[in-house]
Amino acid sequence: MNFDVISPKTTPELLNAIYDNQSKNFRIGAGFTDLINQFKAQETEGLILINLAQLTEVDFKKISENEINFQIGALTTASELIDNKSIKENFPVLYQAANKLASTQIRNVATVGGNICNVSPSGDMTAALIALKATCHIIDCDGNERKELLSSFIRGLKKTSLTKKELIKNITIPKNFSKNIKSGYEKVGSRKSMEIAIVSLAYHLQMDDKGVITYAGVACGAVAPTIPFTTSACEFLTGKNINDISDSEKEEFAKRVLSYANPISDIRASDWYRKEVLFNISKTIFER
Amino acid sequence: MILTFKINGEWVTQEIKPSLLLIDLIRDVLQLKGTKPGCLEGECGACSVIVNGDAINSCMYLAINVDGKEVTTIEGLENNENPLHQVQEKMLEHGAVQCGFCSPGMVMTTKAYSDKCIAEGITPTREEVKKSLEGNLCRCTGYAKIIDAAEAVYK
Repeated sequence: MNFDVISPKTTPELLNAIYDNQSKNFRIGAGFTDLINQFKAQETEGLILINLAQLTEVDFKKISENEINFQIGALTTASELIDNKSIKENFPVLYQAANKLASTQIRNVATVGGNICNVSPSGDMTAALIALKATCHIIDCDGNERKELLSSFIRGLKKTSLTKKELIKNITIPKNFSKNIKSGYEKVGSRKSMEIAIVSLAYHLQMDDKGVITYAGVACGAVAPTIPFTTSACEFLTGKNINDISDSEKEEFAKRVLSYANPISDIRASDWYRKEVLFNISKTIFER
Repeated sequence: MILTFKINGEWVTQEIKPSLLLIDLIRDVLQLKGTKPGCLEGECGACSVIVNGDAINSCMYLAINVDGKEVTTIEGLENNENPLHQVQEKMLEHGAVQCGFCSPGMVMTTKAYSDKCIAEGITPTREEVKKSLEGNLCRCTGYAKIIDAAEAVYK
């Protein structure tokens, strides 16, 4: 590996670095747990790395809340998410996804923004954030800002809507309407640790006092080029009572989740296996 | 590029090339060979060191990002009173070392985790101890004894 590194400390320095290098080949990195491995496998002569690890801007780093949203800085590490009590309490799906990612050593450096921008169909935190209807807050080196729903920000395999001038500053998640939630992240792999999901299912349901589902967010990972938000499965659940879902309704829900799956066969599993597993874990979320 | 950081308690200033990895800084520049290069892609944890209290894989960490920080390697655990750290003592007591290649990484990960648990007054369960070691592979298949040793740190 032989690349140049720019390590901005402030947002203006960062935006200048992006602006100044528009005509050059540059990459932006934060935790580097994916990028370093990519760099080792490619020619890096002439590459410029914009290194976010030394940025001190709190907007990129803090987890905060206001009346309507939780805000998570793009440079928040998986470990910082796990250690945040509000995240664990309000969004178990995100807590579990962060906690099931790789290993302690990787969670200590891997960031939320990196997990999103790596655009893997098996991205753990990304799947949870899609189920939570997260929005990306994006800035560019001309001083513009925009917001985009994460599910539309991801455009395809390894593709996002980001231009060469842009990067994600932070992510917001709408606050829960209700304290009554059923939320979790199911990750199926061949072992528990250091695993990339063969299939994953992120679900976040909110119920009223009587158990009627008022919000359903379900996303499935590693079964399609992107991580789909399963709208028709979510609509099917909304309005039903969580305590009163029949076996045939569970099957119908699982079928609807499955309709979003278009998996490939690869070294980790066959397409048939992925579909079977997705169908089965979808049915079982009500038992958990 | 000039880098200033603390290694095993001592501040050092070193000129490095920007793309240098932390593991290469530690092993080749500083000649501290206790940090082991295993898979070199973040799977095995043999290269684990502690940066500002957190265990990280030094094979996937840019050396420039330890600027101003405190790095501890296996060599930094000894002092005049105690040639071995408590985690190392426990590994010896439990026969948790066979070929020894994974041991420095196991020790550093366990130390970082036990420091956090002790600071928060937590005694982890065996399952939690196992989870704390999920990023460290042992190819002599000695996990039971390593987990026993890591658990014994709290007893």
